[in-house]
Amino acid sequence: MSVEAGHAAHPPVAHQSSRVDARTLGMFLFIASEVMLFGSFFTAYFFVRVVNHQPWPPSPFHLPVFVAFVNTCILVTSSFTMHWALQSIKRGNRAGMQAGLTLTFLMGVTFLLTQLLEYARIGFTPHDQAFGTIFFCLTGLHGAHVFVGLTILAAMTTRAFRGHFSPEAHNGVEIGGIYWHFVDVMWIVVFTTVYIL
Amino acid sequence: MIGIQYVVTTIFFFLAAGLLAMLMRAELARPGMQFVGNQVFNELFSVHAALMIFLFIIPAFAGLGNFVIPLMIGAPDMAFPRLNALSFWLLPMAGLMMLSSFFVPGFGCGWTGYAPLCSTHQELGAVFFNMGVQWAGASSIMTALNFLVTIITMRAPGMTFWRMPLLVWANFTTSLLVVIATPFIAGSQFMTMFDHVMHTNFFNYEAHGYVLGYQHIFWFYSHPAVYIMMLPGFGIASEVISTFARKPIFGYRLMALSLMAILVLGFSVWAHHMFVSGMAPWLRVPMMVTSVVIAVPTGIKVFSWLATLWEGKLSFRTPMLFALGFVSMFVIGGLSGIYLAAVPIDIDVSDTYFVVAHIHYVLFGGSLFTIFAGIYYWFPKMTGRMYNEQLGKLHFWLTFIGFNATFFPMHYLGIQGMPRRVSDYAPRFADLNFFISIASFFLGASTLVFLYNMIVSWARGEPAPANPWRAMTIEWQVSSPPPVFNFDEVPQVVGGPYEYGVPGARHAVFGDRVAEEEEVRSR
Amino acid sequence: MRRGVLVRLVAVGLAAAAVAFAVAFFVPWLPTSASKEGDRIDFVFWFVTVICIAIFALVVAVILYAVVRFRARPDDDSDGAPIHGHTGLEIAWTAVPAALVTAISVVSAVALAENDHLPKRHLRVNVTAQQFAWSFSYPKYKGLTVSQLRLPLNEAVELKMQSKDVIHSFWVPQFRQKQDVVPGITTRLVITPKRLGTFPVVCTELCGEGHALMRSEAIVMRPKAFAAWAKGQQQAAAKASQGVTGGGPGLAAFNTNGCSGCHTFKPAGSKATTGPDLDNLKVDAARAGKPLAAFVRESIADPNAYIEKGYQPGIMPTTFKSLPAQQLDALVQFLTAGKK
Ligand code: HEA
Ligand code: HEA
Ligand code: HEC
Ligand code: CUA
Ligand SMILES: [Cu+2]
Repeated sequence: MSVEAGHAAHPPVAHQSSRVDARTLGMFLFIASEVMLFGSFFTAYFFVRVVNHQPWPPSPFHLPVFVAFVNTCILVTSSFTMHWALQSIKRGNRAGMQAGLTLTFLMGVTFLLTQLLEYARIGFTPHDQAFGTIFFCLTGLHGAHVFVGLTILAAMTTRAFRGHFSPEAHNGVEIGGIYWHFVDVMWIVVFTTVYIL
Repeated sequence: MIGIQYVVTTIFFFLAAGLLAMLMRAELARPGMQFVGNQVFNELFSVHAALMIFLFIIPAFAGLGNFVIPLMIGAPDMAFPRLNALSFWLLPMAGLMMLSSFFVPGFGCGWTGYAPLCSTHQELGAVFFNMGVQWAGASSIMTALNFLVTIITMRAPGMTFWRMPLLVWANFTTSLLVVIATPFIAGSQFMTMFDHVMHTNFFNYEAHGYVLGYQHIFWFYSHPAVYIMMLPGFGIASEVISTFARKPIFGYRLMALSLMAILVLGFSVWAHHMFVSGMAPWLRVPMMVTSVVIAVPTGIKVFSWLATLWEGKLSFRTPMLFALGFVSMFVIGGLSGIYLAAVPIDIDVSDTYFVVAHIHYVLFGGSLFTIFAGIYYWFPKMTGRMYNEQLGKLHFWLTFIGFNATFFPMHYLGIQGMPRRVSDYAPRFADLNFFISIASFFLGASTLVFLYNMIVSWARGEPAPANPWRAMTIEWQVSSPPPVFNFDEVPQVVGGPYEYGVPGARHAVFGDRVAEEEEVRSR
Repeated sequence: MRRGVLVRLVAVGLAAAAVAFAVAFFVPWLPTSASKEGDRIDFVFWFVTVICIAIFALVVAVILYAVVRFRARPDDDSDGAPIHGHTGLEIAWTAVPAALVTAISVVSAVALAENDHLPKRHLRVNVTAQQFAWSFSYPKYKGLTVSQLRLPLNEAVELKMQSKDVIHSFWVPQFRQKQDVVPGITTRLVITPKRLGTFPVVCTELCGEGHALMRSEAIVMRPKAFAAWAKGQQQAAAKASQGVTGGGPGLAAFNTNGCSGCHTFKPAGSKATTGPDLDNLKVDAARAGKPLAAFVRESIADPNAYIEKGYQPGIMPTTFKSLPAQQLDALVQFLTAGKK
């Protein structure tokens, strides 16, 4: 290797000491901390419901379990379309990716709108006992994550239609997808604990 | 360099927080009320602690790491430079929030911000505190993520995990702690904030909220946080002691493993802050056991440092003085932690000045001493200039004496019956408090020596050689200050980081020499 | 390790331990214990202290010895011995601390269990905390509520504690026992006083502006004297609330709401100094330029409307505006009686 006068203008190429891609690893770590954020709210839920014996839901309130179930199905399906989009671009099927992403995005929007509609008609507010507080904060926290996920999805979809991504370079789809799957799994947990148990 | 910006910014917050402490000590110099009202006093210690913890100790370690870690592992920069800049700029925001809680007014519920005092009985300032913590927390999560990715994916060739300097290990474990624990304090601050602003019922017992829930969630972060504030210091101490004793770290692997052990145990002890809180009584004994067990891995570290000194060639430069001061002071702080962890004793001395003494022995004698050690140690590398050794030593001795005079008598006050967080106290504590206040002004003044030394040396110090300490880790193998991208070429790591006294041993080699070296080895 | 080294090391260690022991035993660290629970806690305290002194002396000895013995000469650039570790030593300093902390845990757990134990025969006291005053009531002597805790000697007491607003904490340093008082739950504490005397009751949990002022007293009396006091107070309170004598229902309200915890007022027999002396209300009202009754009423319902000179705003609770009207009237009447 040559030793030139003065210092390099570009960073030397960093040695890649792990097979994991840096951004994917970053996303996984970020998700770990997100899980813990949810964890803190679940802890509050645990204390109010289990330790403090708050009836769930306390009369006269009702939880719209059926609507939430339908919503769950929508969100779970969107995970599959997300997966399909990624598989398509890996195989070089650009149309498949575009369709997959669009579908995912639309289902996400549907989920969020349904959720908002439910909020309006649900019959209690965050002020109605600790129950109301916890319900709205857990579902709301998740809703906020859906919103972030949708923003990422929108960016991905736009790029997909602009001709970005290829079988070799599909990292963008993969990382955004991981986040979407996380949002999805988190909902299943929220749904189970808040609505069903 | 973001690392240097970090250090400078956090030192500013240290001075601000220290000045608040001086005001507090002025008020406490005599019983009765002198300068400030009760509420203002409460705000003083709340903001003092909040700034020290969230805007000084935690980010100062992050800043030192930011500068040193990439150099140590042979990486040109952090993995995500823009994220790094973002985490830095969140800090001034957070600091502004905390400081302005004086003027808003009304954050007087301690840095712990217990509900329902903080969630419903305080003015707007409490919300500023909530938000300040969020910004600082977001910043430290992003930095930690960056550290982890950098350490995992960007190590130089040959830099296996068992060849990493212990500071890298320490930052690695600390970052894991941050990523996992910090979201909990974010959660707890969201909840109090919602209770405050939107009148939700997380901690409103009249609506089935659960008051103690706050403490559980808060301490589930804030106990690990005390290790977030200590493990990087352990790392710095290891670097400094090994270099100035000119010996390999004794029991290197066990040192790294005990960091991991502290990480894991740290998550299982949070309720030792709640022994008198009224939580489920059965939780106390298990939490006591896990708490005292942490003495074992911590003891391994202490004894290994001592063994590293043994038969070394010690040279007492300023970083070494601070490192040795750290070992002795931290042991006192750790041992008073053992008193606190023993439930019956804690029931007596919880929430008294005994705890205040513990806090300062571990945080000042522990974290701050190692930060000073780190700043002096890497000052030549960061600025390209040497600091003034005489002034450095003077700073150490003034600090060491002032620190003990200020904080050791607090143990006695606490046991005798003086509670913490009070602006007024029984007349029989007057003399000792007066002494403590005088000592604390002395301690504060010692900081002036440090500031003078740093500023003057940075401007006019002697130019520093690349490796003034004859250390082995990679950051000393490049020029002082390092090239723009740390290295002109990525080094090749060929051995452990502390092979002092081993004939012919190298930690890392550059460029052409790599080939030679390998040839030598194969012969 | 050579013998000579070991001997010198031990000598330094013993010297350090001697200094530490001197500090530990010649400074009167612990205030004299006044309860059975306190004695057990003191035992744990000294147990831990002995262990800690040993460890501290060891650490200091090694540091001092190394500082003196292994200092590099100014011209010596050589390295130390390349020692990387020693398995035996490493095992030792893992195992020994582990054993020591186990001992500490066991001793602590035993003391804790004994301290939590409540004998069948005991006195129960209900403690109510509010910003920023204590009040104590005795279910055994119905209607007896006071702002100073009085306890009989050598009888176990169970304190049942509740808070009206935020978290407070009950502590008597001489009893060594402490317990937070948390809104929404009832916490408990067991104390068996074993020494006569008057001890400070301290609130140790930050509870707002007046936290530093939230103080009271615990008075340990001989059982006979205690019983006599309690009966006397009970009868006085009963008579008062029926309006037979003295203050009438006002006195009862004055005691149950914690007023006597902060104010000196002769008719109520209280001598606290957190708030102004209410025997001087007439003068104070004149100074404030208000009619006496109106002034008193305002001072109770909205304390921050007028702040008496030398006192701070925000200390007297603002919760009294929600007192039932007749209690408020009674209080005003009680406080203004005989001052016209
Ligand atoms: C850097 C920060 C730091 C560190 C490292 C520690 C370390 C420890 N702390 Fe501390 N602690 C705080 C910062 C820290 N603490 C703060 C800020 C508070 C107050 C919070 C507030 O309320 O505001 C607090 C409060 C606190 C409490 C609650 C007190 C109360 O409010 O009632 C307890 C109780 O158990 C405790 C215990 C411990 C223990 C067991 C350790 C252990 O990790 C110590 C281990 C170390 C040693 C023991 C020394 C070295 C070991 C040896 C030489 C081996 C041999 C030793 C033995 C055999 C004993 N701490
Ligand atoms: C890293 C953490 C850290 C550090 C370094 C310090 C440093 C100091 N602390 Fe602090 N402290 C805490 C963390 C820390 N503290 C915490 C967590 C609490 C608990 C809070 C709570 O209860 O919520 C606390 C509480 C606390 C209390 C108890 C308050 C109470 O309970 O009522 C006191 C009282 O004396 C105190 C004093 C001091 C002093 C005198 C210093 C000194 O060391 C400061 C020295 C520094 C300076 C003085 C600044 C720099 C100097 C200059 C700018 C020069 C000019 C100044 C002069 C010449 C005077 N601190
Ligand atoms: C925590 C302590 C505390 C408690 C409990 C308390 N007070 Fe006060 N009180 C104060 C303080 C401090 C002041 C002076 C500040 C002010 O004027 O508001 C005060 C002022 C007053 C005044 C005006 C006195 C003057 O001279 O200006 C009256 C009347 C009064 N209190 C009555 C009561 C009554 C009646 C109760 C019980 C229902 C009560 N207080 C309970 C602390 C307390
Ligand atoms: Cu009540 Cu402090
Ligand atoms: Cu802790």
